[in-house]
Amino acid sequence: MLRLVLGRLASFVPTLFVASMVLFLAVNVVPGSAARSALGIHATPQALKRFEHQHGLDRPLAVQYVEWAGRALRGDFGTSFQNAVAVGPDVRKRIPVTLQLAGMAFLVAVAIAIPLGLVAGFRHQSGTDGVVTTLATLFGSTPNFWLATLLIYLFSLRLGWLPTGGYTPFSEDPVANLRGMLLPCIALGVVSSGLLIRIMRTAVIEVMFSNFIETARSKGVSNFRLLTAHVVRNALIPFFTVSAVEFGFLVGSVVIIEDVFRIPGIGSLVLVGIINRDYPVLLAAAMSVTVIVLIVNLLVDLAAQVIDPRQVHTGS
Amino acid sequence: MLRRINWRRYGLVVVTLPVVILVFVASAFAPVIAPYDPYALDVLVMLEGPSEKHLLGTDELGRDILSRVMQASRISIVVGLVAVGIGAFGGTLIGLLAAWFGGKIDAVLMRFMDIVFCFPAILLAVILMANLGTSVLNAMLAIGIIFIPGFARLTRAVAQTVQRQPFLEAAICLGVPGRRIVLREILPNVIGPVLVEAAVAFSYAVLLESALSFLGLGAQPPEPSWGNMINTGRGFIDQAPWISLAPGVALFLTVFSFNLLGDGLRDVLDPKLRG
Repeated sequence: MLRLVLGRLASFVPTLFVASMVLFLAVNVVPGSAARSALGIHATPQALKRFEHQHGLDRPLAVQYVEWAGRALRGDFGTSFQNAVAVGPDVRKRIPVTLQLAGMAFLVAVAIAIPLGLVAGFRHQSGTDGVVTTLATLFGSTPNFWLATLLIYLFSLRLGWLPTGGYTPFSEDPVANLRGMLLPCIALGVVSSGLLIRIMRTAVIEVMFSNFIETARSKGVSNFRLLTAHVVRNALIPFFTVSAVEFGFLVGSVVIIEDVFRIPGIGSLVLVGIINRDYPVLLAAAMSVTVIVLIVNLLVDLAAQVIDPRQVHTGS
Repeated sequence: MLRRINWRRYGLVVVTLPVVILVFVASAFAPVIAPYDPYALDVLVMLEGPSEKHLLGTDELGRDILSRVMQASRISIVVGLVAVGIGAFGGTLIGLLAAWFGGKIDAVLMRFMDIVFCFPAILLAVILMANLGTSVLNAMLAIGIIFIPGFARLTRAVAQTVQRQPFLEAAICLGVPGRRIVLREILPNVIGPVLVEAAVAFSYAVLLESALSFLGLGAQPPEPSWGNMINTGRGFIDQAPWISLAPGVALFLTVFSFNLLGDGLRDVLDPKLRG
């Protein structure tokens, strides 16, 4: 067990490094645009040069990367180009907001996916299955920002039940916090449930074809008991390991949903960094989203091994 | 002899293909069949609801929304086609190389693909767009790059299965050159699955492009795209909800029908996979 955990961790570190390099490269593809954006279009060439020199942007990319990564490892993400404020604390303050949003959205998706996937898998290749599968494609095809817009129109503007956006910390006012989170979570969760329904359905079908189900059936176990005692339990393990990937997509999609609902999370910080061409902010925000995704995948991977040691892993 | 057509197998394609064709025709002939010039302003009919003259209403500058939705479909289709083209070509190439050479080349290529794959797509697209600059051309490029790992993984998996089959061993024993084996024996086997993946990827590309435009990183106004129309409509949603509604429905229907087409193609090309 310990060997396994160590092995996973050992492959996690290089992945993190290469991921950070890819991100650094993606942010820095076009040199020189940061200075122009920070100083405006009327800046003189000398001023641009000075700005680049001041922030070390005139050095080779490799040197810049090593320096950035070295400081980032110690939790120092530099200071914003725009207002010279340290980036790290701001990012740390925003991470819980995004995690709450993504976590609750994932719960919404799971709450939709488990019952629907179960019914579809249990009544495999029936009319019900067809309806649920089509419904899953329908959910998955909905643009989340459009669904968000419709939800705001209906529940906030027409009915006036929920706020159109904004964020209240949970510690300040739990009810206001949850009311504000409800629409963004539904917008994200419904769309994500499209894939999760399919994953659950496949997991259930796999279980349905195993020998112990046949045995239970021949013993005369009722359909209801078969479902609750045997199928659900065995299908949930592969369901959660595979759906962790979708959680990663969810964390990524918050970029757009946080913008629509004006939630001060990591996603909106990514956009702030982009609009201002504020590289330290953009890098710190994008890197923390990536690290969250990687850690979630790692944890799920490990949890799956602990719950179900039968899964023999081959390869890397 | 008449072979009975299994309608269950072709059903989904038969149902979705007309919708897909309709989207393509509407976008190809948008300038001809659109009732109005999508850029023509008309201050007399600003924010008007759907009527006989303007079937889907008008926007805040009095432009006809139906015409703009049709014009916008062209961007979505072109971005989808080019992005999927880049992804499918790049991914298939990398997948074939990885499977054929194996060993270190395979390990390095696929490890790199895994890492690109683990980034949330929209995040990577947003960052690439911000640096390449906001234009439709760059949107195609950014989305195309994101698709490469998916196609590479798929191609590699299929190619490896093919390579284990006896007819391929026979070809190698006969001394058929490697390039010929890859192009004539392996590639044709890969095309089916890649096509299925392409239909699904197309719908995802359309979705990503509109997300980028929604954030102001894709097509720039006044050029209409479904994403930027939905975004503009948000500002007027209380008085004129149809501004956001119409392009959203078009976007949703396009994505939905392409996803179903992907499912349908899977049924047709590989009935075994129907689970």
